[in-house]
Amino acid sequence: MNDLVQLASLAPLLALAGAIINGLFGRSLRGNAPGVIASLAVAAGFVLSLIAFLGVRAGGAVRVRFGDFLVAGDLNIGLGFHFDQLSVLMMLIITGVGLLIHIYSIGYMQGDDGFSRYFAQLNLFVAAMLVLVMADSFPLMFVGWEGVGVCSFLLIGFWYKDLKNASAGRKAFIVNRVGDFGFLLAMFLTFKAFGTLDIQAVNAAAPSFAYGAAILTGIGLLYLLAAAGKSAQLPLHTWLPDAMAGPTPVSALIHAATMVTAGVYLIARTGGIFANAPSAAATVVWVAVLTALMAAIVAIGQTDIKKILAWSTISQVGFMVAAVGAGAYWAGIFHVLTHAFFKALLFLGAGSVIHALGGEQDVRKMGGLGRKMRVTGTTSLIATLAIAGVPFLSGYFSKDAILGALLTSSPLGNYGGQILFALLMVTAGITAFYMFRWYYLVFAGEPRSSAEYERAHESPAVMTVPLGILAVGSVLIGYVGLPAFLAPNAIQEWLAPVMAHVDFDHLNTSAEWMLLLGSVLVAAVGLGLGYWVYVIGSGELAKRIGNTPLANASRGAFGIDRLYRGLFTEPGEGLAEGVASLDRDVVDRGLTGVSGAVPLLGRLLVLLQSGYVRAYAFAMVLGVLALAVVAALIGVLA
Amino acid sequence: MVQTEYYVALSAILFALGGIGVLTRRSAIMLFLSIELMLNAANLAIIAYARQWSAVGAQHALDGQAAAFIVLAIAAAEVAVGLGILVAIFRNRVSTDVDELSEVRL
Amino acid sequence: MVAFIILAVLLVTAGVGVITLRQPVHAALSLVAGILALAAIYVTLEAHFLAAIQVIVYAGAVMVLFLFVIMLLNVGRTRAASLKWLKPAAWVTGALSLAAVVTVVFVVQQPLPEFAVIDAALRGGNADAVGDALFTDHLLSFHLVGVLLLVGIVGAVALVQQTVPARRTRQGVAQQEPQDAPELVAAGEGN
Repeated sequence: MNDLVQLASLAPLLALAGAIINGLFGRSLRGNAPGVIASLAVAAGFVLSLIAFLGVRAGGAVRVRFGDFLVAGDLNIGLGFHFDQLSVLMMLIITGVGLLIHIYSIGYMQGDDGFSRYFAQLNLFVAAMLVLVMADSFPLMFVGWEGVGVCSFLLIGFWYKDLKNASAGRKAFIVNRVGDFGFLLAMFLTFKAFGTLDIQAVNAAAPSFAYGAAILTGIGLLYLLAAAGKSAQLPLHTWLPDAMAGPTPVSALIHAATMVTAGVYLIARTGGIFANAPSAAATVVWVAVLTALMAAIVAIGQTDIKKILAWSTISQVGFMVAAVGAGAYWAGIFHVLTHAFFKALLFLGAGSVIHALGGEQDVRKMGGLGRKMRVTGTTSLIATLAIAGVPFLSGYFSKDAILGALLTSSPLGNYGGQILFALLMVTAGITAFYMFRWYYLVFAGEPRSSAEYERAHESPAVMTVPLGILAVGSVLIGYVGLPAFLAPNAIQEWLAPVMAHVDFDHLNTSAEWMLLLGSVLVAAVGLGLGYWVYVIGSGELAKRIGNTPLANASRGAFGIDRLYRGLFTEPGEGLAEGVASLDRDVVDRGLTGVSGAVPLLGRLLVLLQSGYVRAYAFAMVLGVLALAVVAALIGVLA
Repeated sequence: MVQTEYYVALSAILFALGGIGVLTRRSAIMLFLSIELMLNAANLAIIAYARQWSAVGAQHALDGQAAAFIVLAIAAAEVAVGLGILVAIFRNRVSTDVDELSEVRL
Repeated sequence: MVAFIILAVLLVTAGVGVITLRQPVHAALSLVAGILALAAIYVTLEAHFLAAIQVIVYAGAVMVLFLFVIMLLNVGRTRAASLKWLKPAAWVTGALSLAAVVTVVFVVQQPLPEFAVIDAALRGGNADAVGDALFTDHLLSFHLVGVLLLVGIVGAVALVQQTVPARRTRQGVAQQEPQDAPELVAAGEGN
């Protein structure tokens, strides 16, 4: 059994092989071959993950070590993978959703020049992400962490010939770097505190550390910084909306389903530390909730079909991070699971629309497309309802779990747990509102641009079949996490062995029902508000709302980008310009000056060669006089 | 008796004058005359010191005067050859201007 | 002392004349005057033999040679001056170096022996005494000077020698190519 599980170690290698094949030989392969190869690699990975899942289900966690990774002095880190309930679950998400997106991409990237390059990079991403979740030590996780960062950069700037795309990729990488810095510092501190960088060992040792010790809090906060970078939380969220410059399947896979959830995974993995550093955990929740609220407000004012979804992702990841911060690690991972389905579906649906309209992304030019694109429209509707928290769909259950955790988390109670709960409820309502807006503006109502409407057509099967599969998932996957007081909560029980222990208050049954119904109410209010503004009020009310200060703040994303620009980018550019001009004017001029001095010197010396005997004679006289003076001085001094 | 320093000062004056003449005069012959002046100044200095150091031994005086004699002979030989060169150079030219010999580039 | 001053003035005047007089003959004659004054000074320095030699060789031979050449080359007027900076520079340099030497000589004084001691020790600078020194202590130098004079003579003659006009070249009879008459005749008959 153990051997079968260990077989899953091949998964990243297969993806890597796919990347290398496509990278080196992709250009000479005909037709869709690169896409098929890449999809096969990921499919194989999915099968291996499934085997690992079944193996862990039967026999518990498995660890495999391949040798030494870093051995220096007191540091002894092995190269190894750790297959437990959490990591195989993540592996399934990555390879499963990844496979669907790969297949979809075959249709979406049809005819693109960089077809093989795209699949090579996408496979590379899958490999890195798998390493990230399978790693048994922090440095190896960091390898995967960096790897996904690089692939994100490459894929965002996929159409690099347009400077905007390249800049977006660069921005993503640099902002991520700040998070990586946090990761590194956290690793250093972890080694200092625990003497080891093995994840399991650290988690085991954490409880015996002093509760709430400063160093644990420090480590936790630094991991929060890392997670904020990767998962686009405040203050490092600015890269995600810009990242929409990449191809839409990339946005679906990396910036919805997997990479942005790496931060959630990190905090869940280091649960032992956070469980014993309540102030750090509380900071996590506060950051996450504020991010979620802010992002939801901003999403209302966006006009790009993908940017709305990007801000929505920031908001939803905020939900997940809030959950893991509050100690309900299983709830956060549960939302990762459901979000992977419906957000990927939303993005792929948007991609289908963009593909059909030949590149148009402005929702103000869309409308009524649901009539012409039946599959896309229907699946997008399902996804919209799921994310809004409509009961019996997946999003409802996962959101409910998170809200319940915030309310009942015992350590969080000291840090304003109830306020956070209220804020997150409001955010859920806003989510429903802006998602309704998204769906309505794109698929329903009257077409605002007849040219676009005429052009619209349903996408080919290679794109619509994954949409369908994801839609089914968006509906059904929620049932693995039914509320505990009603039915066995499969996912909570599944992840229990891996989760650190945090105290939760117990709600009685009526309170639980109140919570369930409250979520429904919030969703209904949000959707109803959307209906009222857009369907009943059609254009006027929306326009009036659009002129309020809040709307302006929403459209401008609260000016955070401008703030960063003024605080960091412009001084940085100024410094670079200063150094460049220093190099140009001082160093270069100095060098040319030196080289210019030589002819100058030569010209001076030429003056001596006048050819006039008398001048030479004078020179001799001067020389003799000099010698005489020297001789006299020596004579005097001696 | 006149002190030796005065003779040496006189020699220095003559030498300086000769040096100025070498640098200032433009005709080659005049240049040569100035050089002869310098040689004579040197001779004066030698003989003055010869007398001075004869106090230590008469031999010194005779050595100095013999040296002056030889300098004289050398000056004569130098004049002969130098004037010969001058004649050879300037035979075919109109002027004896030294500045026109500026092809000499060191 | 008085004699020295008079002679000194004479000498300096002659020197100035050499370097400033325009006409070359005037300058040469000025130098002659200077040489004669110098000979008188040698006498005051107890170098009688050398004074005589000075007059005979320098004034009598060298200066005559100078005058010959001056007249031979017809040293004419000078052109427009080049190196205008040289004249003031030369005067300044000369004055400065003179001042330096005089200062050194008068200021840095070695203790010099008494006059009386000098007078007694000196043996008159007469011909046989100097001749003795030349032919015994300084024999090598003396002979080398002789060789030098010889070289000077040869050099002077070689310098002024006119180039020998090239002889017209004529082919020697032995080098002429023999030609047979019949061939010539045959060539001629072919016409």
